[in-house]
Amino acid sequence: MSVKAIAKPAGLKVSRRTGFQRQDKLAPYFFVAPFFILFFTFFLFPSLAALILSFFKWNGVGSPDWIGVRNFQRLFEDLNFWMAVRNTVIYMLASLFIVVPMSLVLAALLNSRDLGFRDFWRTAYFSPIVTSSVAIALVFSLLYSKDYGLINAFLVQFGLPKINWLGDGNWAKASIVILMIWRWTGYTAVYFLAGMQTISQDLYEAAMIDGANAVQQFLYITLPLLRPVILFVSILVTTGSLQIFEEPYILTSGGPANATLSVAQYLYTYGIANLKFGLGSAVGLLLFVTIFSLSALQLRTFGIFRED
Amino acid sequence: MQTMMVKQQQPSPIRRILRKIPLYLVASLGAFLTILPFLWMILSSIRNNSEIFRYPPTIIPDVIRFDNYSKLLEMWPFGTWYLNSVLITVISTIAVLFFSSLAGFGFAKYEFKGRRVMFAILIGSTMIPFQLILIPLFIEVSRLKMINSYAGLIIPFMAPAMGIFLMKQFISTIPNELLDSARIDGCSEFGVYWNIILPLIRPAMGALAIITALGSWNSFIWPLVILHSETMMTLPVGLARLTENVPGKTRDFGVIMAAASLVSVPVLLVFMAMQRQFISGLLSGSVKQ
Repeated sequence: MSVKAIAKPAGLKVSRRTGFQRQDKLAPYFFVAPFFILFFTFFLFPSLAALILSFFKWNGVGSPDWIGVRNFQRLFEDLNFWMAVRNTVIYMLASLFIVVPMSLVLAALLNSRDLGFRDFWRTAYFSPIVTSSVAIALVFSLLYSKDYGLINAFLVQFGLPKINWLGDGNWAKASIVILMIWRWTGYTAVYFLAGMQTISQDLYEAAMIDGANAVQQFLYITLPLLRPVILFVSILVTTGSLQIFEEPYILTSGGPANATLSVAQYLYTYGIANLKFGLGSAVGLLLFVTIFSLSALQLRTFGIFRED
Repeated sequence: MQTMMVKQQQPSPIRRILRKIPLYLVASLGAFLTILPFLWMILSSIRNNSEIFRYPPTIIPDVIRFDNYSKLLEMWPFGTWYLNSVLITVISTIAVLFFSSLAGFGFAKYEFKGRRVMFAILIGSTMIPFQLILIPLFIEVSRLKMINSYAGLIIPFMAPAMGIFLMKQFISTIPNELLDSARIDGCSEFGVYWNIILPLIRPAMGALAIITALGSWNSFIWPLVILHSETMMTLPVGLARLTENVPGKTRDFGVIMAAASLVSVPVLLVFMAMQRQFISGLLSGSVKQ
């Protein structure tokens, strides 16, 4: 400490908080300025604009008309909007109650000491998430094809009837859910795997001495210790599924008869394609409020963003 | 008790193998189902249409032909889309790395007015879904005459909050003494960033580069919103375009699968070569997102 004090050239000040010398008081502002200019212009400003715009009627021509809460009223009266909400909630529930448990089991399997080639499995199961969701949805539209699809051909082999995957409302929803499961399970399993590898082996050895079998070890050691990761992944898939767009847009165009329409797709169709800027912004605001509440829950649970 | 312990810790070789079989079976089945759509995509791209729409489907194509690929390049400006995607991905990634690391340095190593408030705003913003700003950003970008351009695709996303957070966290771990000794040697503040910080944050930059490049390459909704002319399209938008009813062009599944393969196979290959970096990079990004 004293050496440092001697070595310090004259005229430099020491910041008490960070404990180092500062040549140029303006430097940090120059460093963060480009970032903040971009951030304000293209993120905060449009965020505030969305809030304001959702109380106006505007198609981009002329000046916007103030209509109060009419956009929200219109949304709540629109059956298509409720359809979109219902479908999106179904996607969310499927991601929570199918994807999360499945990926937990998968992670437990991959974490087994009896299984070799870990990198190979990890790579295989992770691959869906790195590929373009548009490309994937197109491949699935071929797999789901009623007359020529691989899936129906497989069903027929086992004496089962062909399924009209993309033509029937309920099956179309199932198609989207299957695609989500395929795309997300391996990805979230890798989170669980990372979490499982931090659990001490001593705990399992102690449990084995007490005669606990693999299932008991999973239920009474792995699950409780993974609780934070489970909650985190749950919120990750919840927010992800609430924003789902590409899958229904490419695979089914939201059909048949809006049976797969998602909220994000509703926003795109009305807000962008039909230029209902106010109505679209109102949808965005509702989506934001929903996701914000869930993310706030995430913050409170994990304190991930605590500074320092 | 003593014998039981020994037994459970070291099961006989036969029992070990028996225990492994179901494990490997389930893991292989799952991995097969995961990889199957990719295989089907590639297989469908190298057979002709009469074979794609044949019942029952055949696994291995009768004749391997690359007609779909040549048709794709003849019928659509696919090369242009590829170039657009490559350029946008490269420029976006470089810009994000630069602005994020510079601002991350500012936040990590300096005390300045408004630092805490700015950082809190930044963190709060990560909870805003893109759908909220989609419409106002579309209007704004149109007013700025950046619609249907590279600028409109790149500039609004050069400063992601997640990137700066990642950088700030990483730079905070660099000891201040290193920066001080560089200053004593006459380095300017920017010089400290350039000569000391940049070489030290390579791992974090790698993670951010992977997240940004993947996000940019696969990005769909924003390019879909602002790109109108066929020659400006990026690959995902172009892919979606192939499925539309365009006058004078037929919707051809072989061609679509060829395009889907060309979009995803290079990414898959890079991913396989660098799977450790990819996975840890993507995980670190979303944990902090």
